[in-house]
Amino acid sequence: MDKLSILIPAMPLLSALAITLPGLGARRRAARLSVGFSVLTLLIAAAALVLYLYRPEPRWLAPDTGWAALYVDPLSLLMSVVVAGISLVVHVYSVRYMAEEPGYARFFLLLDLMTFAILLMVAAGDLVTLLVAWHLVGVVLYFLLGHDGRRPAAQRYAFWSFFTYRLGDLPLILAAILLYQAYGTTALPALFQEIMAAPAAHAVLGVPLPTVVALLVALAAFARSAQFPLHTWLPYTMEGPTPVSALMHAGIVNAGGFIINRFAPVFVHAGEVLHLVFVVGLVTAILGSVLMLMQNDIKKSLGYSTMGQMGFMFVETGVGAFSLAIYHLIAHGLFKGTLFLGAGSVIGNARKHDGVPPDEVYTFVVERRPVAYRLPWVVAAAITVVVPLVILGLSHWVVDSDFVGRQGAIILLFFGWVTAAQLLFVTYRLRALSPWRLMAMIILSLVIVVAGYTWIGHAFDVFLYPDRAFGDRIYAAASIPLGTFEVLVGLLTVAVVAGWLATYYTNANGGRRGGAASGLRLALYSLLSREFYVADLYAWLAQGVLRLSQRLNVWFRWV
Amino acid sequence: MTLLLAAALFLPLFPLSVGLNAVLLRVRHPLARSAILLAWPQVGVSLLSSAGQPIPPWFIAWALASAAVYALRLLTVRDLALWAAFLASSALPLTWILADAGAPALRLAALGFSLPAALLALLGGPLTARFGAAYAGLHDGLALHLPRLAGVLVVTTLAAIATPPFPGFFLMLDLMGRLATTAMPVVLAVWLTWGWAATRLLQGFVFGPGRGGASTADDLGAGSAWAYAATLAVFALVGFDLMGGGR
Repeated sequence: MDKLSILIPAMPLLSALAITLPGLGARRRAARLSVGFSVLTLLIAAAALVLYLYRPEPRWLAPDTGWAALYVDPLSLLMSVVVAGISLVVHVYSVRYMAEEPGYARFFLLLDLMTFAILLMVAAGDLVTLLVAWHLVGVVLYFLLGHDGRRPAAQRYAFWSFFTYRLGDLPLILAAILLYQAYGTTALPALFQEIMAAPAAHAVLGVPLPTVVALLVALAAFARSAQFPLHTWLPYTMEGPTPVSALMHAGIVNAGGFIINRFAPVFVHAGEVLHLVFVVGLVTAILGSVLMLMQNDIKKSLGYSTMGQMGFMFVETGVGAFSLAIYHLIAHGLFKGTLFLGAGSVIGNARKHDGVPPDEVYTFVVERRPVAYRLPWVVAAAITVVVPLVILGLSHWVVDSDFVGRQGAIILLFFGWVTAAQLLFVTYRLRALSPWRLMAMIILSLVIVVAGYTWIGHAFDVFLYPDRAFGDRIYAAASIPLGTFEVLVGLLTVAVVAGWLATYYTNANGGRRGGAASGLRLALYSLLSREFYVADLYAWLAQGVLRLSQRLNVWFRWV
Repeated sequence: MTLLLAAALFLPLFPLSVGLNAVLLRVRHPLARSAILLAWPQVGVSLLSSAGQPIPPWFIAWALASAAVYALRLLTVRDLALWAAFLASSALPLTWILADAGAPALRLAALGFSLPAALLALLGGPLTARFGAAYAGLHDGLALHLPRLAGVLVVTTLAAIATPPFPGFFLMLDLMGRLATTAMPVVLAVWLTWGWAATRLLQGFVFGPGRGGASTADDLGAGSAWAYAATLAVFALVGFDLMGGGR
């Protein structure tokens, strides 16, 4: 099994090296070679995961160099299978999609290098290997996004991604150096063991080391996973080839969730940082979702959707549901990859016919026709509030009767309840021939989704964090004082209900807007459409630095 | 102190670094430029060893400031030879930090910083021979029309800005580990700026539609490309084996 674990990242590297050899770098041969190695990588990764399930013992594989070590544990094996799977799909898709593009063999070479870098990152067993892989992902992504060298926009946005990634590399480097200075080792298992044994043994400028390291790791994760205000690069990565967008949104951008899970033994001693992660994730989730709704371009809309999903992933880690974040990133990777790879066909079909079926959803949402028949409002209100609560509560209780003791689980339940209630609330106003049947179908779907999500989430928890006590400690670290928690939940409930009422009355008035709030609404819309001028601010700063550089060179006569 | 100041000329600290850059500007032959870039810091290391005295703390602050100034100036340099010279002027001052901390193999460290810069200066030769000047932005589209030359330029530039697995990366980690926490952000900012400058350089040479005659020029010969690749591979292996950060 150890040999298999070494082979997982080695396969794509071998493929990349083979493509550079004379005779093997021809267009078709390079693609065939690359796809073949991708299949092998996936098979080996799957085999390693299955073998681990039979003998679940984490192992640390280190050569004599002191670095280039691999950490074979549930997280690395699971992520390896996901990465290898998504990479294979992207490889196969690219064979025909990129056939007319110049630099065909180079594209596969870069895809292989990217797969190697990500697989090395998820399996890294020491800080140096982790930094090498983390750094390489950003560099290779730059060349993948800028693959079509003839398009200036692709170059511009490849640079944005590269710069943000480099910005995110720096906190991780700082964290690694601080850990090495404190403990004198770079081996991850040894580091985590020492931190768990004596978390307060070291401090940086008076702040406990785990807090500082967790903050730095979180900053690195924010940059990599496009958290506000480091999000500006993500929606524009569509300028790269579509397979790269798919790989980017399905795999690379999830690195933030992975790195926080990898450093879980540090985060368990840094509750304050988890709260920060929660807030940043929440802001990003809201902004990403709002900006997604404002787009009229399918790929850009998908880009902002990824931003929102990444925000939700950070919300999950922020409340202590680390394993749920991994499940989320895998699920998101699969569906977003599918959406990106299918976006071209959707656009092509839409040009021929709009394809929107004139059903009841269309007539209600687009044509805004009045509702012919509704359920009695008392029944609808009861169903809206009670049914999601019962479904969510029961499904969690079945897999884990202790869930009420975890604040994080309550928060996620609250989000789930709000979402489900929102769905049922909209359904209430939907024009349907058989409202009872429609409601029943929606509730059935909700049961399947919630029960499936809860069960799989629980399975991930058991697999990734078999030590139940450790899982509880993460939830405890993420929790806040009970009084504050209750006040926050109350405020959030009031905000959500107020939002519903506002929407209800706006719709009841036929969508008319005006009065004192319209100016505010317009200002907010302007701000959102310019993304709070964050990108403009960055551009202004960059121009300032370049002007200073030029002035210095002129002063010193270019020597 | 005199020897230390003399070393500051060869492990260039601003404004003494003007000497190295002025010499490189006068010497036009790419091979001679490369030789100077390789030999110059080794003289500095010899002088530093001969000085045999502890380095005053203000020298470290001076070295950090020099590295930062040249990193900043690197951003708007378009000429490849000058770019290589400025990068060396930004990277070589960091050798002082390693010397101050008593790091072994100082000569190798100086070589780790100067070799990619020397290779870049050498690459100015084939570019000048084809286009009359090695100036970013005037002759772009190398990736499209001259893939071998573009590949060599890209990998050498990546080695120069301390990208793994080249030794510069491990050197940067090593010197960061020897720095006070408060000084670390300066080195990180310098490192970030190198990356920014490198993308500006590559966008002016490698990407683009091929303005300035790239579509009609001959690519780098296979032999030359393999020679560059072999040099860079050996360089990377040195980084992997001799400077493994975990040891």
